[in-house]
Amino acid sequence: MRWDIHYRETWLHRTNPSLKLLVMMSIFILVLFLHNPNVLINLSIGLFLLFFIYTGYPLKYLLLFFLPFFVIFVSTASSMTLFGQGTTTWVQWGLVHVTKESFLRGMHLGFRALTFALLGLIFSLTTRPVYLFYSLMQQLKLKPKYAYSFLAGVRLIPIMLEEFQTVQNALKVRGAGHSGTLEKVKRYAVPLLSQSIRRAQRIAVAMEAKRFSNETKRTFYYRIGFSKYDLMFLFSMIGIIMLSYYAATVFPYIPVTDVR
Amino acid sequence: MQTTKGLKLADILTTIVISIVFGIVYKLWGPFYYFVKPFGLHVDQLIYGMWFIAATVAFLIIRKPGVALLAEIAASSGEFIMGSEWGLEVLLYGVVQGLFAEAAFAAFRYKQFDVFVVSLAAIGSTIGSLIMDFYKGYIEALAPWNLALFLLARFVGAVLISGVFASSLVKALEATGVTQMVRSASKEDYEQLDR
Amino acid sequence: MECIASVEQLRLKFPGKETLLFKDLSLSFKKGEKVLLIGPSGCGKSTLLQVLSGLIPHSVDIPMKAKHIRVPDNWGYVFQDPDSQFCMPFVDEEIAFVLENISVPREQMPERIEGLLRAVNLQVPPHTNIHTLSGGMKQRLALASVLALEPDVLFLDEPTAMIDDEGTEMIWRTVKQIAYDKTVIIVEHKIEHVLDFVDRIILFNDAGEIVADGEASTIFHNYKEVIASQGVWYPRIWDDYKKKKKVRRHSSEQREVICLENFQGYRNKEVKIRVNTARVHEGEWIAVTGKNGAGKSTLLHALMKLIPTDGEYKVYGNRLEQTKQLARRIAFVFQNPEFQFVTNSVWEEMAYSLRLEKRTEQEIASEVERLLKMFHLEEQKKQHPYQLSMGQKRRLSVAASIISGQKVFLLDEPTFGQDAKNTFALLELFESYREKGAAIIMVTHDEQIVKHFATRRWIIENGQLVRDEPVMPETKKALSVQGGSSREMGYSLS
Repeated sequence: MRWDIHYRETWLHRTNPSLKLLVMMSIFILVLFLHNPNVLINLSIGLFLLFFIYTGYPLKYLLLFFLPFFVIFVSTASSMTLFGQGTTTWVQWGLVHVTKESFLRGMHLGFRALTFALLGLIFSLTTRPVYLFYSLMQQLKLKPKYAYSFLAGVRLIPIMLEEFQTVQNALKVRGAGHSGTLEKVKRYAVPLLSQSIRRAQRIAVAMEAKRFSNETKRTFYYRIGFSKYDLMFLFSMIGIIMLSYYAATVFPYIPVTDVR
Repeated sequence: MQTTKGLKLADILTTIVISIVFGIVYKLWGPFYYFVKPFGLHVDQLIYGMWFIAATVAFLIIRKPGVALLAEIAASSGEFIMGSEWGLEVLLYGVVQGLFAEAAFAAFRYKQFDVFVVSLAAIGSTIGSLIMDFYKGYIEALAPWNLALFLLARFVGAVLISGVFASSLVKALEATGVTQMVRSASKEDYEQLDR
Repeated sequence: MECIASVEQLRLKFPGKETLLFKDLSLSFKKGEKVLLIGPSGCGKSTLLQVLSGLIPHSVDIPMKAKHIRVPDNWGYVFQDPDSQFCMPFVDEEIAFVLENISVPREQMPERIEGLLRAVNLQVPPHTNIHTLSGGMKQRLALASVLALEPDVLFLDEPTAMIDDEGTEMIWRTVKQIAYDKTVIIVEHKIEHVLDFVDRIILFNDAGEIVADGEASTIFHNYKEVIASQGVWYPRIWDDYKKKKKVRRHSSEQREVICLENFQGYRNKEVKIRVNTARVHEGEWIAVTGKNGAGKSTLLHALMKLIPTDGEYKVYGNRLEQTKQLARRIAFVFQNPEFQFVTNSVWEEMAYSLRLEKRTEQEIASEVERLLKMFHLEEQKKQHPYQLSMGQKRRLSVAASIISGQKVFLLDEPTFGQDAKNTFALLELFESYREKGAAIIMVTHDEQIVKHFATRRWIIENGQLVRDEPVMPETKKALSVQGGSSREMGYSLS
């Protein structure tokens, strides 16, 4: 969900949100148990292409969104690379001990983090929260009281961000700048939380005043069903995975199939 | 005085909104986490515990079963929606961390609200996050001294942030009077009606 | 006529409070009646609406009991705060949420939604983000979604408290159009647009007891003094105020405080406010006016350097680059007072800035006590700032901002949403500082305040200061005849 950016609606936007979530969760779990770096690299390339071509956002924003993930990649990879265990030593310098095994494991972790990030980005860039929760209610039987509470919460995010800014300014004006990190978190959290709690209570009362009830049967403004786009999505995901495995066996980048 | 099963709408909404506030904190905590990560000495792990705080704070405010789990899920969803650097992974971590925190509160039958229980919940969440890390991050493959440091830092940080700090935050909130709106009226209050 | 809602011997008590809010209150409403409930803040009017609608105890857990309660079958409720009564992000989705609740078939929804928007004169495309609507439009959306329930009874709980004059008028015009055949029970502090609509007024005192109940015009005339003392905004209140008060506002040319030349403020690297040239002198009260979103608040932010700026900007002849330096000379009061509180008690809140300046304890104590007295907060000095009433919070935020002796005030709608009593009290406090040479720059939508208190007016349009003119009220001559100190009849504050 990005607020002010105009994007092109693609088939990924039209995929059923529940299906999209479940499929992506499955890939997530698959990747957790994937220890072959060749497959993983291919998979991240596949997802990267999907992200780059089919999320429908302008190039400028795609690059902007992607930037933080490089940082994640490097930092995830480095920790394991520099301090991991292994037998084939490359560099030994004080506490730092780089081995071939730890390097590969580090790279693998980096790509894994990248895959998770891409899965998340693709999902959140192509899914309106309203459709997601309507779909969760209709396909996965999520209780309305949870779904609408989440939606009310999502609606408040921009308001909260504004309030966050105001608190920041107010603290600046009052000269409350110099304090520890936790003290700072508290200075922000108390006004924001108390305002939010009051607002949540009022919204809940307002919703019930509008006859919201978890018990009665309700109709839905948006009917979220399935379409050919869902098949397209399913096949492209399976395609990416199968291609990743196939390419990894035919054209491996490195002769290692398990980094553990 | 609704008699529906489970949490009331107001409880759910309040939990979620509180959690979204922490979702914002979680999101901002990401860059901070990488900022203090001077390659491996695990200072970063000391601040990891911030990602467990939604569960403990929400529970301390609302004091009902299910709140801790819901809070952690909602906070990670909020973080996810705002574009977390970790993507989909935060959702699953959220669920697992929330479950373990919830278990700690359940062990005391949701009747105790002191620093001890929330610290226990923080430890629970830490264990949850470690289970996930075990699968995801090959942490067992770190050099033993390094792994020990890693674990110690994460546990200590969690207790300090999501245990001790969370309690003091809720105390500060209680002083503002806002928590009274959330908790149910006492029996004495009803009895006073007849005076 | 048929009774549509009633309570008999209602007892109600807020958790943790010592006394009952209502003790054996009985009231009933007839079908088709338009009723206005008036009373001082905190007397329980809104709570009573929630009891009558059944929201208490169904949705809000507050200890209560009654011998008998009759809740109407079909009712709708509009709340005070426009930002906390919606759960969906878009206009159509919000109304659809209500339609879903009452199981309207999906096919009928778009048509119903458009019809409802027409009914409340909300001329926006249905799929509009609620966040982009003005407060007045949000309240009309709230009305539309309530109308979707096809209610017989409308409960209106200060629907215009947080809305500017223009929006307020539109809301009441809409209510009059749609509710002529309904029972309407209203709680409202700004009664100018309501008086010709209601046919019954019920007057409460601060103990939650009924003082008077009867035909609207009779009650209004017979109890005007009581109503005025409760801080209600009634028609011609400014005339009455003027009669009692001398509003003296000459500002002889005094020392220059602020000097602006080609001054610009930026948000996201775009120029959002521009001032070609302007000066502010001691003893001036500048009202900053203009449409919503014109850039009034942005100007204040720029003057405080909370956003990037360029051009010439001098305060007492000095260029100051940081907010921190500016804050020593300029006090900034935010719209929501809570956001600027940083301590746990009124006393500490006042002392905070002085502590930062490392003043001696003795000095701090005497200064804090002086301002506590002046701002009528002595009795509250041990309370938590959040536990104060709306008016007290506002006064505290002003007092705490100006305590280190700043002589320039930047005020962002400081009287917004306040009742009449608190508004006048606050304005008089500002005026007393102005008389002693402070310069005030205040964003406001209230023409009466501009007319009666400002000495100059800045008009902002599309992010630019387009006019800078002295305020020359016709009232000045008439008023200067009356003598007396401007604080002679200081409004007593709760």
